Amino acid sequence: MKPFRLIGSFMRASFQEEAAYRTNFLISLFTSLLNLVTAVLGILVLYGQIDSLHGWTLASTLALLGVFLVVSAVRGLFISPSFDSLSGMDGEIWSGAFDFTVLRPVNTQFFASFRKWRLFALFDLLLGIGVLTAGVIQLGVTLSIWKILFFLAMLVVGMTILYAILLIFAALIFWSPGVLFTWVFDGLFQMARYPTNIYPGWLRMVLTWIVPVGVITTFPARALTDSITPVELIVSLLLAVVLLAAASILFRVGLRKYASASS
Amino acid sequence: MDNTIIKVKELTKTYRVPVRAEGLGASLKSLLKPTYSEVTAVQSISFEIAQGEMVGLIGPNGAGKTTTLKMLAGLLHPTSGQVSVAGYEPWQRQPEYLKRISMVMGNKSQMLWDIPPLDSFRVLGEIYSVPKNEFERNLEELVQLLEMKDLLTKPVRNLSLGERMKCELTASLLHKPSVLFLDEPTLGLDVSMQLRLRRFLADYNRSSGTTVILTSHYMADVMALCPRVILIHHGKLLHDGELGSLARRMMPFKILRITLGQESIPENGVPQLPDSVEVLEAESNLLNLRVPRGDASAITAKLLETLNVVDLIIEDPSIEAVIDQVYSEGAQ
Repeated sequence: MKPFRLIGSFMRASFQEEAAYRTNFLISLFTSLLNLVTAVLGILVLYGQIDSLHGWTLASTLALLGVFLVVSAVRGLFISPSFDSLSGMDGEIWSGAFDFTVLRPVNTQFFASFRKWRLFALFDLLLGIGVLTAGVIQLGVTLSIWKILFFLAMLVVGMTILYAILLIFAALIFWSPGVLFTWVFDGLFQMARYPTNIYPGWLRMVLTWIVPVGVITTFPARALTDSITPVELIVSLLLAVVLLAAASILFRVGLRKYASASS
Repeated sequence: MDNTIIKVKELTKTYRVPVRAEGLGASLKSLLKPTYSEVTAVQSISFEIAQGEMVGLIGPNGAGKTTTLKMLAGLLHPTSGQVSVAGYEPWQRQPEYLKRISMVMGNKSQMLWDIPPLDSFRVLGEIYSVPKNEFERNLEELVQLLEMKDLLTKPVRNLSLGERMKCELTASLLHKPSVLFLDEPTLGLDVSMQLRLRRFLADYNRSSGTTVILTSHYMADVMALCPRVILIHHGKLLHDGELGSLARRMMPFKILRITLGQESIPENGVPQLPDSVEVLEAESNLLNLRVPRGDASAITAKLLETLNVVDLIIEDPSIEAVIDQVYSEGAQ
């Protein structure tokens, strides 16, 4: 299968690029651990005071943090590195090196989405899975295989939504070389580490359905620790499909608009 | 031409550029209600190129060369007119088309900066689905022609500009394209590197039959490589043919360089020369004249008769002088 061979080859090259900067590895390791410790400490402090917050216990909140870390790790693994190489002052669109990307005999959206990998993020992924497991153990229930499969499916839906949103931001670069959109989203995405129902009603609505960061993390976590209503399931599936289609169309329109920087 | 690979007919590209007056007020106004003006970068140009040809696309800065090249490659959508390259419409960028072309840009790199070129090449081999043994064979051939075996394992960022250009060329030829677009490939290179790259391009063009379209500001590149040049100025095609015939058309002059015997030029100047002759230089026993091409032999005969000539050279004006004249005056 060509797409997988290509991804394999992108991963190899990216890993070699990363290996050229060994100190980055240590810094990245340190950042990941610091990130984990502060997040877990925050939750422990909170649940040292109370037992439950809008139905969320220490265990389920830990599981949610695990999901958040896993999703963030996947984002950091390839989505962000790939899209980041497009934007910014040294980005391909600004420098015009995107010409080469456009001229490759490979689907441009595929190429632009998968070509840069940050394999250090695999460590984040492990930490995320660790926290998730800790949450589930704390929960003290045995999970059926169906529940796990359902959780994984919701996770895929969540990640598809995240990918689609980031693809929309990447496509917007064709109109404005700024990176402002991604910053705003990053701010909102940080809210996804907590259950959406701890926020006031209007914000919860926004975070669930307008900027669906809630669907990305809270829904998979609930699928694992609690349950998801069929309506929520169908709507989030639809949302993922619609967003992905819209993002792909926007990317294609942007590509058509792209007139490379004059040389 | 029945082996035509590139057909361009009445190709036109108009850009819409934002117009903005100076000052903060104008900036704010243009933010709310932007005004645009149309700039025609390429205006109704037509030409055909045969398989295996090596054609130079020349013209001053902003003439429309790069725009033309980008439309040929498929990076830009033409405003009107037709382009066909290897039977495809370039802007549709079908994978089958993209596998048959390649582009090298002197001011942009396609290499991965932090890893050795060999690793970038392997990724490209995958992207272009070049079978493994074919990949090794092509790589071997290019590495030999470009004498770059020792560069393969050094990180690209540690290479010199010339070494990097060798890598760019290899990267763009690994999949054996039928058409190669070169945009200022010798930009910033030293003279000996320019020479070597030129030799490589000439050899490669001859041995592989790859069609090459080249833009360059170095006339030496074009003179050495391209039997045919297409001159674009203000988006219009001014000349399509030999460089020499361009010179003859644009500069209907010859330069006579005369060295006289011991005695220097007569005090009262050079006798009996028609008005059409311009004295470029007259110093001690050296005399440089610019004469109309048609009169060159008659005037030479006359000078030989009246002056004590020990040496005489008749030459065409330098191509740089021709180009300078075209670029600064535009052509009629």
